[in-house]
Amino acid sequence: MQPGWLARHGLTVPVAILMLVLFLLVPLLPGEYWTQVATEILILGLFAMSFNLLYGYMGQISFGHAAFFGVGAYASAMLFTRLKTAGGEIGMLDFFLSLAAGPPVAAVAALIVGFFCVRLTGIYFAMLSLAFGELLFYIVFSWYSFTKGDDGIQGLLPPSFFQDAVNFYYLTLAIVTLALLAMWRITESPFGYIMRTLRDNQRRAAFLGINVRLHMLINFVIAGSFAGLAGALWGPFSRSVNPGLLGWQESGIAVFMTLIGGAGSIVGPLLGSVIYTMLQAVVKMYTVYWPLTIGTIILLIVLFLPGGVLGLVEKRIKARRSGDGDAGSREA
Amino acid sequence: MDIGPYVLQLFSGLSRAMVLFLLSAGLSLIFGVMNILNFAHATLWLLSGYITFSIFTFLSEQLGASPWLLLPAIVGATALMALIGFALERFLIRRTYERDLPEQLLLTFALVLIIGDLIKLVWGVENRRINLGVQPVEMFDTLINPYHFVIVGSGVAVAAGLWFFLHRTRLGKIVRAAVYNRNMVSALGIPIPLIYGLVFAAGVGLAGLAGGVFLPLLPMALGVDHDVIVQCFAVVVIGGFGSMLGTFVASIIVGVVYAFSILFWPDGALAMIFLIVIVVLIWRPWGLFGTELRF
Amino acid sequence: MSTSDRKWEALIENLKLSRRDFVFSTLATGALTLTPRLVGAQAAQPYKIGVLLPSTGTGANYMAHCIKGLPVAIAELNKRGGLLGKHQVQMVYRDDETKPDVGARETKSLILNDKVDCMFATYSSAVALAVQEIIHEHKVLHFAATSNSSKITQDNYSPYTYQFCPDSNMQSGAVVVAVSRMATKNKWKSYVSLGQDYEWGRDTHKGFTTGLAKINPEVKEARQMWFKLGETDFNSYITAIMAAKPDFMFGAIAGKDAETFMQQASQMGLFKRVPFPGGLIAVNDLKAQRKTLPRGIIGLARCPFFAHLKEPIMQAYIKRDRAAFGADGYPDDWACMYYDALGGLEQGAKKAGSTSTEAIVKALKGASIDTCRGKRTFRDCSNQLNVPSYVGEVWDSPDYPFPIYKPETMIQVEGNEVWTPTCEDVEKLKKKRA
Repeated sequence: MQPGWLARHGLTVPVAILMLVLFLLVPLLPGEYWTQVATEILILGLFAMSFNLLYGYMGQISFGHAAFFGVGAYASAMLFTRLKTAGGEIGMLDFFLSLAAGPPVAAVAALIVGFFCVRLTGIYFAMLSLAFGELLFYIVFSWYSFTKGDDGIQGLLPPSFFQDAVNFYYLTLAIVTLALLAMWRITESPFGYIMRTLRDNQRRAAFLGINVRLHMLINFVIAGSFAGLAGALWGPFSRSVNPGLLGWQESGIAVFMTLIGGAGSIVGPLLGSVIYTMLQAVVKMYTVYWPLTIGTIILLIVLFLPGGVLGLVEKRIKARRSGDGDAGSREA
Repeated sequence: MDIGPYVLQLFSGLSRAMVLFLLSAGLSLIFGVMNILNFAHATLWLLSGYITFSIFTFLSEQLGASPWLLLPAIVGATALMALIGFALERFLIRRTYERDLPEQLLLTFALVLIIGDLIKLVWGVENRRINLGVQPVEMFDTLINPYHFVIVGSGVAVAAGLWFFLHRTRLGKIVRAAVYNRNMVSALGIPIPLIYGLVFAAGVGLAGLAGGVFLPLLPMALGVDHDVIVQCFAVVVIGGFGSMLGTFVASIIVGVVYAFSILFWPDGALAMIFLIVIVVLIWRPWGLFGTELRF
Repeated sequence: MSTSDRKWEALIENLKLSRRDFVFSTLATGALTLTPRLVGAQAAQPYKIGVLLPSTGTGANYMAHCIKGLPVAIAELNKRGGLLGKHQVQMVYRDDETKPDVGARETKSLILNDKVDCMFATYSSAVALAVQEIIHEHKVLHFAATSNSSKITQDNYSPYTYQFCPDSNMQSGAVVVAVSRMATKNKWKSYVSLGQDYEWGRDTHKGFTTGLAKINPEVKEARQMWFKLGETDFNSYITAIMAAKPDFMFGAIAGKDAETFMQQASQMGLFKRVPFPGGLIAVNDLKAQRKTLPRGIIGLARCPFFAHLKEPIMQAYIKRDRAAFGADGYPDDWACMYYDALGGLEQGAKKAGSTSTEAIVKALKGASIDTCRGKRTFRDCSNQLNVPSYVGEVWDSPDYPFPIYKPETMIQVEGNEVWTPTCEDVEKLKKKRA
């Protein structure tokens, strides 16, 4: 490994490869349970990674990102319901069609919401994204005739081949891996570096002739589409969707995962998803005070470990390779 | 035309407005001076409600039931909350001043979860309510709850008190100066950390006051803070970050709009508020009374 | 005394002495799920019940008694030897946070990881619908005893789901019966509705308005108002109701919003001007709001203990809970119905002669079981237990430190009188499951 490689790419590739190998091996564990947990980790990890496109790479925090996750889930669920046969089954082609419905509908929603949000930054961006998120939640919740309101939509049973947890898992793994590669390509492209400039110094970017709003909007739509993809996978995984998927509390999950894993790398949020989901599963077996637990962890991370786990590991490695240039914990 | 119902709805709108103002004043003060958006504001308000309940119940058991015991309970709760606010600023919030906005937001977000669960740990899941034994009074051919006068009175008193503090006292002027240029204030030899500590304590104390004042009207229950924080944000956004006058006016707008939309479009009352927020953020992000300087 | 007996006694001791009941019970329950390895080999295969009830969110204060009472009920069952006298029952508790996707995830966890044989779930109907998808797919028995949307036993029907609580149609039907009598007697002409703007609220409202229009067409709804869940200030709604000057008002309000509304409305004197019959006032509300609840108001309940004081099973529940939780520890509606679910499980296993899910499902189909409400039968087409809804007047009783429904005026509306629609229509509603 060349010395400059670490400074340029951080831990992304080795961590991603390690995680991929581990993910491939999960179904070897006895029983169906861990496969189900890993599927959840992957889907929510994708959601968190899409959030990080806005947060880690573009420097804006959105509290309404779950709206696109939810819109993708609902678009997919509603098409699913219409494509189902009278007997309640869905054909293989129709199933993939319904999955494909998630990202584009979420993208349209992101286009509309983003059009307004990218005019602002900082706290105003955060507030406006929160307001739109809540508005979308409220629409889905209230429009009973179209979305079945807070009843949610049930009956999202995949075709029998994918009812097997392992098969569905590998499908999810394939989709999430491809999405991850796509996001990585985007962040390593000139577009991705424009994002980083917008994060670090928006004024300078404008002086350089970059159309700030347009670029922010494009990134916003991309992020929304990947969130919609995650949402589309969530419906058949959970066998149902409900309006809560759009609310600010769900948005908070993406934020927590990104923070825990580290916003400085494309795989940080995925690692965060692993830690968050496993932690939740274990803690909830013994106590109901999960919010207290995760709240305290987030507090400690914000205060002492802002780069998340990956940030910490990178720092240690850099410190060991004395004098390779400390690039800080949020470099990507 | 029978004007009675409209007058009543207006009064109820004003009462709701004062409820919102009392809730949001502390949030606005803290944000205005320190640029910290305290997500946990409503959670601290809820905590104060529970504390007031406990003090009131304890006093009632020791001294016999009387509605006037609410006063010392509120005073006690407010003082306690101000102390808690001071401690929070000193040990936690202070560490995020040099950080980026997202991290500051996340810290207060984490506090929502932590404080919420601490309330559950101490008081359990049962709702808490008190009964002052207040009787309704006849007005405009209908009955109203006289406690609403207390609410409106408190709101106006707090607004007047804050205005007086910020504009007529030396400390208040220092606080306002710090809003505009804290480095200059610091250069003049005034200890900014202490100012920030006092302001945060005052903001949380105001939340505490609101919690206590509302206890007779609203059973305290877990999760109420989640419902309420979004309305607080709405008011602060519409009025303008950093402007107490803006918060006051926005509270009145939101309260009265809500009250009247119940008469004409009951389903959409809350959607109306969201729409106003979105419109304000798009058209004039610094709010009705905020200054462009802050944006 | 076996190890598990000792552990159960220790648990009950904890529950009696500790204020933070459910913290200990969840911790203990968590620890207890580890005991299978410690239990001696002489016992037959233990039977696991997954209890999915909220201790977070709007349902938490309703389920508090139930969550701490079920371990005590199970301990008693185990003292008798457990199911069929040989299968010790273990309870695994999970918090669904009153959220459907959490409910779905925890159900999967309980079924796949904890390998539960039966699910007791849940409080919220939206969560119940999501849970049904999972239990049906994995063919796990599901007893519902609080979440009561009619969709659970009709549109979203699963042969594995059995309902021990009167469903939303039955509850609306009962209110219609009570209000109809009052409307006819007092010559009422108009009313205003106030409802929570979500599925249960809309559903309940529809049930009432269509039902009343059929029997008393002369009574018209002048206005309907809807509010978002979690409303903290009903002032404007109350003034609007009073301004309309209706003969009475109907409310589709539940949970903490109901308590907020009651408190604010009675402080504003609303109930002096406008009668409010038929709001949900269950035993836990009567106990919790004993100081603030307006007396004389007409409420609706689902399984109040004071309506069945002569039933031996109800007496047993009362005795057991008061012994475990103190003199005030009367079981509320939700606890009684989940205890009945446990009783139903025991009787189902006995009838089937086995603890296998398929056998119990077959045994309970259309069967009669003994409950705290007497002998009750499951409706063939929907697995809904034929249980009454109760309408009564809030009244201070000399026998209890909290108000109950006045015995002289309390009405019990039998389930089969009001369980709409007909079995034929229920079959049409049932969605096809793959």
